[in-house]
Amino acid sequence: MDRNQITKWLKAPAKMANKYSLHAIYFCTGCGIIEVPPVITSRWDAERFGIIPVATPRQANLFLITGYVSVKTLRPIIRTYEQMYEPKYTIGFGSCPINGGMYWDSYNTIKHLDKYIPIDGWIAGCMPRPEAIIIAVTHLWTLIDKDMATGYIKYRENYNSYRKNQELALGKLDWPPLYPTK
Amino acid sequence: MVVKITQIILSPVLALIVGVFFLGLARKIMARIHWRYGPPLIQPVIDMIRLFYQKSVSHGRMFDLGIVLSLAGSIVVVLFLPFGRMCPLSNSGGLLVILYIMLLAPLGLALSGGQGANPNISIGISRKLILSLGYEVPLLLVLLSVMTHYKTISIVEMVNVQQSTGWSIASWPLFLSGLSYFLILPAILSIRPFDMTSAPQEISSGPMVEYGGKYLALAAIEHAFVLFISIALFVNLFLGGADNIFYFFVKMLVVFMLGLCINAVFPRFRIEQAIKYLWKWPTLLAFLGLIMTLM
Repeated sequence: MDRNQITKWLKAPAKMANKYSLHAIYFCTGCGIIEVPPVITSRWDAERFGIIPVATPRQANLFLITGYVSVKTLRPIIRTYEQMYEPKYTIGFGSCPINGGMYWDSYNTIKHLDKYIPIDGWIAGCMPRPEAIIIAVTHLWTLIDKDMATGYIKYRENYNSYRKNQELALGKLDWPPLYPTK
Repeated sequence: MVVKITQIILSPVLALIVGVFFLGLARKIMARIHWRYGPPLIQPVIDMIRLFYQKSVSHGRMFDLGIVLSLAGSIVVVLFLPFGRMCPLSNSGGLLVILYIMLLAPLGLALSGGQGANPNISIGISRKLILSLGYEVPLLLVLLSVMTHYKTISIVEMVNVQQSTGWSIASWPLFLSGLSYFLILPAILSIRPFDMTSAPQEISSGPMVEYGGKYLALAAIEHAFVLFISIALFVNLFLGGADNIFYFFVKMLVVFMLGLCINAVFPRFRIEQAIKYLWKWPTLLAFLGLIMTLM
């Protein structure tokens, strides 16, 4: 921590603590899990920036979705996202969550993940290098600083449309709505 | 009177600061052993600030009260522990009271987790209780032999005797007990090789699985207290306490570093391997120590 950050800490402790204590839960759907261990271990030690992997969505505030999202794995992704406590940030890792990537014409793959849960940032590439995660986190810091990482607020405000999209993809959902729906 | 009240307020605060410092130091040193740079020393504080600002959902009344109960139990234990010359409740209780109140911490977590109704919590708690069954046997034998040797239950008197006659870990029959306490110390702290209660890879961090936000922050504070208490007890009973707080914390730091080195290099036991270990060597040593003390 720099010394010139102390005034920032005093001004907005919640924001700064959110920035420097990103506990990540990563959802490895297909590929991309190989890129995560080098980031959290000694090669690109992400714990320098306070990023550690946690085992449960309750403790996490950064959700990393790596690789393609099939229809079957969309369900646990939504459940995991809804179980996380606010404020929470989401990063889509790889080109498949963005627009389907190489599975653009697959019948069983979710093409645009941000129709179903809000995504704060994307890391494009197939696959991105491990250091791209750290670059993405620095971009996320900027977004948090400027109050632009508001995915969880968007989810709360537009819950009706998100829920409708989820029902379109998955059929009837077997869990109650997170927020009151009209 | 005023001094007493100041001490009662000050000692849990000091214990908390030292415990949180140890948590941060543990992460830093573990990182250096892994050839990483590691987080800043105040990372646990940053995490706690973040967790206290985060929204959290309660799973019921016992979920809230259990964690408060365990935290309260730990704070009360701190009041009975002398560190340096400071002991707020020196003339009441002693080792026996500490033994009873120390049970509140795991019990509160178990009660709180029971309301969480997650299968991982049940597995974690059952492992925790089995593990405590494992280390309570040698711990009780160790404390019994210490109490028999000094013919008192007051920790303050034990510290005073050790100040004049030398550390008890250096005296003959109590050396075995001290060694036994050190061997079960990782189990009491539930660090590796005994971290099967909160194994993130197997049971998604066990009793902590439903904790988030404020609950997780309180659980981290509780963990810091437990860290402080078990090491402080070791320093008081076997390393002769200390004249002032500074030396006391230096001694605690040395013991903690030794524990950390064990934590860094060992893999995790399975629960039945842990019981097999705990009931073999530490219990044998503690039992031998007790017999030698009685003779």
